[in-house]
Parts: sequence; structure tokens; C-alpha cells
Amino acid sequence: MKKKLLMAGSIVLLSLGLMACSNDNAKVDSKNVKTSSEQQTLHVAALESAYGKDMWTKVVDAYEAANPKVKVELTVDKNLEEVISPNMKAGNYPDVVLLGTGRKLALPETMIKDNALEDITSVLDKKVYGEDAKVKDKLIPGFTDTLVTNPYNNGKTYLAPMFYSPTGLFYNAGLLKEKGWEVPTTWDEMWALGDKAKAEGIALFTYPTTGYFDAFFYSLLFEVGGPDFYNKAMRFEDGIWETPEATKVFEIVGKLAKYTEKTTVANGNDKDFTKNQQLILDNKALFMPNGTWVVGEMKDAPRADGFEWGMTALPAIEKGGDRYAFTFFEQMWVPSAAKNKDGAKDFLTYVYSDEAAAIFAEAGAIQPIEGISSKLTGDNKLFYSIYDNGAKAGMGGFAATDAVEGVSMADTLFGTVNSIVSGDKTVKDWQKAVEKVSDQLRPALK
Amino acid sequence: MNKKKERRFFIFVCTAPALILLSLFILVPTVEVFRMSLYKWGGFSNNQVFVGLENFRKLWNDLNFFRSLQNSILLIVVVTLFTMVLSVLFATLLSREKLKGNNFFRIIFYIPNILSIVVIAGIFSAVYDPSTGLLNNLLAVFKLESLQKMWLGDQKIAIYSIGGALVWQAVGYYMVMYMSSMASIPESFYEASSLEGAGRITQFFSITLPLIWNNIRTTLTFFIISTINLSFLLVQAMTGGGPDGSTEVFLSYMYKQAYTNSSYGYGMAIGVVIFLFSFALSAIISQVTKREVLEY
Repeated sequence: MKKKLLMAGSIVLLSLGLMACSNDNAKVDSKNVKTSSEQQTLHVAALESAYGKDMWTKVVDAYEAANPKVKVELTVDKNLEEVISPNMKAGNYPDVVLLGTGRKLALPETMIKDNALEDITSVLDKKVYGEDAKVKDKLIPGFTDTLVTNPYNNGKTYLAPMFYSPTGLFYNAGLLKEKGWEVPTTWDEMWALGDKAKAEGIALFTYPTTGYFDAFFYSLLFEVGGPDFYNKAMRFEDGIWETPEATKVFEIVGKLAKYTEKTTVANGNDKDFTKNQQLILDNKALFMPNGTWVVGEMKDAPRADGFEWGMTALPAIEKGGDRYAFTFFEQMWVPSAAKNKDGAKDFLTYVYSDEAAAIFAEAGAIQPIEGISSKLTGDNKLFYSIYDNGAKAGMGGFAATDAVEGVSMADTLFGTVNSIVSGDKTVKDWQKAVEKVSDQLRPALK
Repeated sequence: MNKKKERRFFIFVCTAPALILLSLFILVPTVEVFRMSLYKWGGFSNNQVFVGLENFRKLWNDLNFFRSLQNSILLIVVVTLFTMVLSVLFATLLSREKLKGNNFFRIIFYIPNILSIVVIAGIFSAVYDPSTGLLNNLLAVFKLESLQKMWLGDQKIAIYSIGGALVWQAVGYYMVMYMSSMASIPESFYEASSLEGAGRITQFFSITLPLIWNNIRTTLTFFIISTINLSFLLVQAMTGGGPDGSTEVFLSYMYKQAYTNSSYGYGMAIGVVIFLFSFALSAIISQVTKREVLEY
């Protein structure tokens, strides 16, 4: 009997041990916080993008050297959401996260909808770590006035702008030179070039996935109606998607769909999108919407002889009209539930220091700080000079809303492009659907 | 009396760990799914709002959900039908006919089953590639250019392309299952029937099929569950639900709503519908296919 009791006891203990694991973790964490007065632990989580992983290790090393009181725990991963989300659900938040909006898993968007981000407006008035200049004086003007950084449109900043990149149409400059074709400056010239290229068996257009249409669409909205129109569209104003300006945008994309390379839709998913990018390298298509990271992403891919990256702003609606190259940037944010928010804010100032910016720039990641474009070299010098050559910069994105079940502007506005190219939907139906989604999102505006 | 008590205590102690684990990791989460389906919640904050059956009302009007439901049902029907016919056929061939390289084929058919679904997605992306893919180039070799398709780009056939990959990976597994029950059918039945003049096809329908019927019934439930699960994985890895939602299945739609549209509660409502749907379907199929079990 005694033996059996003993066995029963041990089994119960084992089961309890299993359940107790989570409690142990919590204890360890609370210890960390207690010791924070002497030695701080700062948990930094960053997305491993086309710029690679090393720059983060280097920046963190440099920060630890500059600030010996801080011990940084770094998490860098290509699927960052999947790595940090389970811990976040269990209450263990990273202190500061580099992860931009517009990704499939939409983690920052969810945090915005849930009001779960820390207000970091005060960081702008702080001095850059180790320097005398304030953060706001170092940043290029405009970056903290967008719906991306101030999602609630209340003058408060919740997301700090990081690594910016002009987006536009990428092409093989070598091919255009060889054929004697001019880079089109208006959409009419674009269609004319499309017909010329078609005669030689080259498609005018391709796109990696429909997700790349965000910057493309935003630029078109700017070109067609200016900043005021753009902001109305981003704030879901009633009837805005049915105005003549919006109709023009839909018509241009509808016409472009007819000039799109025929295998684009089949490969337009997260797994095969590089096959679409390869079309440019192989001279099978002329233009694709993309960002400067594509150069790094395709650096090992085979290419046609004489290949040379070129990038242009979107063609203007009419001769002499504005041309836009949308500025895409990533963001860094602090969850409200983070344990070491002060440490996180200090680190946020450090990422704009000359030291950090130089480390990032070495990997091709360009911080939005004044005077950085004069320090660029190689392909980047060409890309970032697009604004010096007359293109205007657009920034921002759709205003934040509460979650509306089963309704997604990205799916309706960008995802439908696949159906337009394959002919499964008409441009008219598409336009109607976008206006309907806009109607559904308006009441949910934050 | 004391002995009886002791015995009961012993049984309790032996089953306790399993029961604790079962309730902790299966019952509690399932109940939690049902509870969360009544809330509006983004997934992270403490801001959970009770909305009653509102999520289900929205679901009823969500055309995208119905499209994903349609795709799932289509896959369950098509994949089950093709996989079952092919695997019964191969199982019969390999266990009844004296073929050369019997064991070799058995291994070849089974290999897809040990591959991870991501590898299968990679293989089939290569097979379906419009310009360099195996399928379109094979059609070109046989001068069948008119049949060449954008296998993953054409919205009308993309879901069938996913189905093709699912059938390919499942055939071997079910074939082995059917072979094992065919092996237990006594050889004398076949000998007796052939003396009475029964051909191979009569033998198959009068002896083999009735005697493995119970096994087929069991596998039907497996077909439903595995098609629902694997179609999600394959869609995630291959098309992401595209082009324009045409290959979305209900689990991928649930994932999309719960994790990318910040509507966790809505996602759980979809989860509840899937849960009830798969239970009901399995029960119906099990009832419909009920036959007297033949003993031998």
C-alpha cells in the first residue's frame, strides 16, 4: 500500500511540475525587473529583412559599448511575428520592436487597433544618445507627420520611422539603352512603349505580388488628385473611390493589367514572387513596382548581359504633371506592456545616432536623417537621388480603424489586381467593391 | 471490500496523468475556442468585449467565408474520391497480382507521405510552374499545347491543382492501410470463387470490397480530417489563398481573420463552425456507410 501511495504521490507531483513551469518563468522575469536599477536588460526584437541580420548584432554591440549599464537581449528573425507573438500572448513583451506595418501578419496594425502601443512623442524631444542634437532635429521633416507614425491622427507619435526607401518602377536600364527606348514620363508614353515592347515579345509590366501595389496605388492617388485627395482616400471619405480622380486610377491599373506578363498571376504569391522579379532580369518584362531592397534580394540571381538596375518614379498623368515615388519606411515601436520602456526609449534615440546610422547604411538600410543621402554610394546613390530629379515623395497609408470582421482594404484594393489581370473581375466591379469596403471601415475609424 | 477500494484507487492513479493532460491540453482549449467566439478581441490586449452571437451573424453574411467553405467541401469530395479509388486500385494490384518489384512500388507510393507538406508545396510549385514546370513541358512534348494552363494562376483550376498535390501525397498512406486489411482475407475465398468461374473483377467487388468495407469506413473519417488540415498547410505554403482568394480554404480563412485581420474572436467563430461541420460530416458519413460487419 505504501509503495502504491508513493507512486501515486510521485505521479501527482510530476503532473503538477508540468503545470508549474509557466509560474517559474514569471518568477525569473520579476527578478530581472528588480535588478534593473543597476544592470538593465533590454529586449530588442527586429525583423530580419533583405538588409540581413549582422547589422543588428553590430548596432547592439555598439550600444552596449556606449552604455555599459544595459544588457541587450536581441531577437532577430525573418518570421518575427511568429517568434514573439506567443510570448506576447503570455505577457512577455519585447521592450522595443522593429517591424513595419503592411506585412501579412499585421502585428503592428493589431497593436494599433488594440491601443497597445506606447506614446513615444517624448522621444522626439530627447537628445540622440551620445550626441547633442535632438531626435526631431535630426529626422528628415515630414516623416513623423504621417498616418503611419501617428495612426490615430491626434498629433501623437506611436511609431518611429526607420529605414526608408523610395519605391517606384524598377527596370533594366541596359535593355532600354540597347533598344534606344526612353524611360516614359507620362502614362501615354508608357502605353506607346508597351506596344513597341510587345512587338519584340517583351511584356511592359509585371509585379512580384499584389502586396507591392500599395506604394504603387498611393503614388497614383497622389498624382491624380494631390495630397488632399490622397488624405481623403486614406481616411475613407464617403464616395471618394467613385470620384472621377479615383476612376482614372482604376482605369490606369485596368489598362496596365492588359500589358502584364502572362505568368505573373501564377507566380504572384509569397513563395514564387522572385520568379516575377526574375522576369525583369531576364528581359521578359520591362517594369515592376518595387523598393530598393530588391537589389539585395536578387543579387545572386542570373541576369541578362549588360543588365543594369534602373528606377523611375511613376509616369505622370499628363505632360508636365506631378510624378511621385512613394517613400516606404519601416517602423520601430514600444509595446505599452513592455517592462523596460525607459530603456526602450533611450535605445530609440540611439538608432538615429551617426554611429548606428553608419552601421545600418553599410548593410544598405538608410535611416531617415538629414544629410544621409550625401553619404550614399553605388546603386543606392542613384535610387535615393530620385527626389533630386523632380519626383515628389508621398508617405503614409490608410488610417487606423477598429477591426472590422471579414473586411480588408488591402485584400480588396490590392488583392483584386490578380483578378483584373486574369480577367475574372471587371474594373467597374472592383471599384464598387473598394467603395463598399471604404463605407464599412469609415464608422470604425479610430 | 478493501480490495475493491484499493483496485479503484489504483485505476484512478493510473489514469490520472492521462486525464489531467487530456483536459488541460484538449478540453480546456476547445471550450476556450467556443467561449472566445462570443467576444470581439484583437488577440493581444486585455480589451475583450462580449458581443454574444454577433460574430456568427457577421459570418452568415460573409461571402468570402462561403467561398472558402465551398473550396473546402470541393477538396474534401474530390480528394477523397480520387485518393480512395486510386489507393484501393493500387492496393489490389500490389496484393492480388504477382507483379515484379512489388516491394519497390510499395515504397515509392509511400514516400510522398513521409515528406513534409512544405517540401510537397515546393515540388508542386515546380511541377505547376507555367514556363519551366514539368506539367506544361510534358504537355508540349506530346504536342498538347492547347491543354497547357496557368495551373496556379487560373482561378477556375487553381483549387484543383491544390487537390492534385493532396491526392499525390495521400495515396500511398491509404494504399498501405487497405493492403493490410486485404492481407487478412483468406486465400481460400479467392480459390473457391475462381473454381466457380469468378473473374478478377467479380472477385474484387464480391470478396475484396465487402471484406475491407469496415476499413474503408474508418478511412473516410481520416479523409475528412486530413483534407481539412493538410489543405490549410498546402494553401499557406503554395498560394497563400491566392490568386485573389480563389484557393482560400476555411482554415486558412480562419487564420487570416484571427491573425492578420485583428479579429481573433471572429476567427474563433469560424473555428466553431469548422469544428461542428467536421463532426457532423464524419457522423453522417459514418451512418450512411454502416453495413453489417462480415466475419470470416
